[in-house]
Amino acid sequence: MADATTDFFNTLQRRGHEPFLQNTTGSVRFDLSDGDSVESWYLRVKSGDIAVSHKKAEAEAVVSCDRALMNGMLLGEINAMAAALRGVLVAQGDLGLMLTVARLFRGAYDARPGAPEAGYSRRKK
Amino acid sequence: MSSDLVQILEGNTFVVSDTRGDIEASLTDPTGLFSFDTRFLSRWLLTVNGQRLNPLSVDDLNYFETRFFLVPGTGTVYVDSKLSVIRQRAVGDGFREQLTLLNHDDKPVKLAIAIEADSDFADLFEVKDALKKTGAYHSRIDDGRLVLGYKRETYERETLVSSSAPAKIHPKGLEFKVTIPAKGEWSTVLDVVAVNGTWMESDQHTHDRRGARAHLSMARGLDKWIEKAPRLECEKDSLKVTYRRSLIDLAALRFSTRSLPGRSLPAAGLPWFMTMFGRDSIFTSLQALPFTPELAETTLLALGERQGTHSDDFRDEDPGRILHEMRYGEMTAFEERPHSPYYGSADATPLYIVLLDEYERWTGNRRLVRQLEYEARAALNWINEYADLMGNGYVSYQRRNEKTGLENQCWKDSWDSISYHDGRIPGFPRATCELQGYAYDAKVRGARLAREVWKDGSFANTLEKEAADLKRRFNRDYWVQDGEYFALALDTEGKQVDTLTSNLGHLLWSGIVDKSKARAVVRHLMGPRLFSGWGIRTLAEGEGRYNPIGYHVGTVWPFDNSFAAWGLRRYGYKEEAARVAAGILDAAEFFNGRLPEAFGGYAREITLYPVQYPTACSPQAWSTGTPLLLLRTMLGLEPVGDHLIVDPALPAGIGHLELLDIPGRWGRIDAYGRGRVSAGAHRVRTTTR
Repeated sequence: MADATTDFFNTLQRRGHEPFLQNTTGSVRFDLSDGDSVESWYLRVKSGDIAVSHKKAEAEAVVSCDRALMNGMLLGEINAMAAALRGVLVAQGDLGLMLTVARLFRGAYDARPGAPEAGYSRRKK
Repeated sequence: MSSDLVQILEGNTFVVSDTRGDIEASLTDPTGLFSFDTRFLSRWLLTVNGQRLNPLSVDDLNYFETRFFLVPGTGTVYVDSKLSVIRQRAVGDGFREQLTLLNHDDKPVKLAIAIEADSDFADLFEVKDALKKTGAYHSRIDDGRLVLGYKRETYERETLVSSSAPAKIHPKGLEFKVTIPAKGEWSTVLDVVAVNGTWMESDQHTHDRRGARAHLSMARGLDKWIEKAPRLECEKDSLKVTYRRSLIDLAALRFSTRSLPGRSLPAAGLPWFMTMFGRDSIFTSLQALPFTPELAETTLLALGERQGTHSDDFRDEDPGRILHEMRYGEMTAFEERPHSPYYGSADATPLYIVLLDEYERWTGNRRLVRQLEYEARAALNWINEYADLMGNGYVSYQRRNEKTGLENQCWKDSWDSISYHDGRIPGFPRATCELQGYAYDAKVRGARLAREVWKDGSFANTLEKEAADLKRRFNRDYWVQDGEYFALALDTEGKQVDTLTSNLGHLLWSGIVDKSKARAVVRHLMGPRLFSGWGIRTLAEGEGRYNPIGYHVGTVWPFDNSFAAWGLRRYGYKEEAARVAAGILDAAEFFNGRLPEAFGGYAREITLYPVQYPTACSPQAWSTGTPLLLLRTMLGLEPVGDHLIVDPALPAGIGHLELLDIPGRWGRIDAYGRGRVSAGAHRVRTTTR
């Protein structure tokens, strides 16, 4: 299914490394439900290196929500914190790790001119 | 808050009750049990044989614990009761109340004891603005507990009430039928737990840590907190009282976030602002750095985790912007308020860099500076890319959320705080002067971090060039030639908003003021139009909107003065800094060591005591931090490399002063000083050793 969720994880997988996460190590699992089915995306970060899979393994942080909600968050239509407060998104485990990873959500999709890629100015070479 | 209300708190949970320990809230009334910005109990009434109780005394045991001594019956002058009632209440993730009844009679007594409980689950914003709820309430008895609940779509909050002694539980409360023997007693422990919906799910275990054990660890935690801070020895007893009060209040104001377990940062104020605020948390962390540096570290981490990533008009969010305020209630959940978080602050982002640098200078913790490199770069990027709304090279603000966003995004955030000399109010965007100072300081400090820690010399050079350029333009464009001071702001046409304000103090602190202009600026700050004898007024006497009891237009703000004192020291005016410290610390004495948010701008010769401005929040974090920063400025503490420079200039009334075990990259260091600076309003004698 080609949607914002697939795009997002595929992009992360393709990049393989996200400098902004270079101080981050940990795993986050997204359990995304779509009707009766649940698809899991397993994100493993090791000092910025990213591996994406569909493993249903234990993770330090687990996010559970509807796939439509995940798409909405990635497209900037839905605010993750407000969704969590409403109870339509459940975040368990290491919330700090989740907040860090969640900052990737919008950056890649922000088309505003001048916005630094992924929301962060990069080290000038 | 009215003084006959009793409040206790822990983290972002607090209870406000009357002096009987009862809660009888209406939608607009501020009593209740609150947690994460939601009221979980709006009714909590104790009766004995159908009678309300009468308070004999209230003991505030701790900021998180209180004890009410009560007797049955009301309205009589004499109390002659054979029965005493004690309610001892401690806050955790709700509260635990030990209810004890003592029978003083020599025969047994039969009693019907009842607790009425109910909740309106109001959002704090609803309590403030008297708004109506749209969801549905429910109540049930489940597993021996009373469950009060509220549901709106998927949003669900519950209050669980249980008792250790057997009780008859019904949907509106608990009842006990007991017989207490002659000279005997009866007791039960009532547990009230606030359940904050599924987003808090992994925190359920914390409910187990409540009760006696948790209570002990909280008391020990407070002792440890005070022990860990530097010790103050001083001939002036009132300063010791103020210092201790500040440490205890700072402990009470600690706020924990689930994302950083075991750590805490300063919330803005108790009880209505027990949440993360960019500006308040940063200013307070700066004030407390020489005393409790771990607050600064948590502030930097917590604000960094929530740094803006994209443009969102509803939240006034931009990439790199540091948040203004975080809230957790129903209105935030349904996006009727933008606080998830809200980003409408023009100063928190540059101040974030200032704190990061100052933190490193004190602690030497470069690991954190490396860890937050992206956040810091994004914040510096925000200043150039997103904060220059008028394209004139200055930081300015204008809200994009016109319904629920903030109009004034600087610390003087009331509607009339920014005005011209003749009282007119400028349009938006507004480029207030202190924002330029903070931006300048952020660039200078950012350059140091880039060069020394991130090893990026070219970025450092760029920042330094930008800083120098900003300073040059600022000293030209903001300088009011006739008056010899800096204008409060530039308006949309680039014209000066020409009022004389306390913002000058922040400009000195930032370092943006040309050396050649400093003397004139100091003359204004210490002159009779701004300096009241107690402190520097927010707005000078003689300005159109001056009002000695106007919120930001004439009152004296202790926190504002503490940064002015720091600024005066920065430019070498240590006697003037000591006089500001003396005025504010003298005022603190009148408030038993707890400085209010603001007090009246009346001249000291006229009122003889500082007139408190009536505000809802006390203690306020940056007022609590004020005596700490003043101790720093009086002792002239300044980290230089791996050393701490001590260069005291103390007011004469203070006598001998020692601050022992100041933590930092040097380990622990003691500082000593003796008061020699006359605090007289217009005479200045020479200094210290």
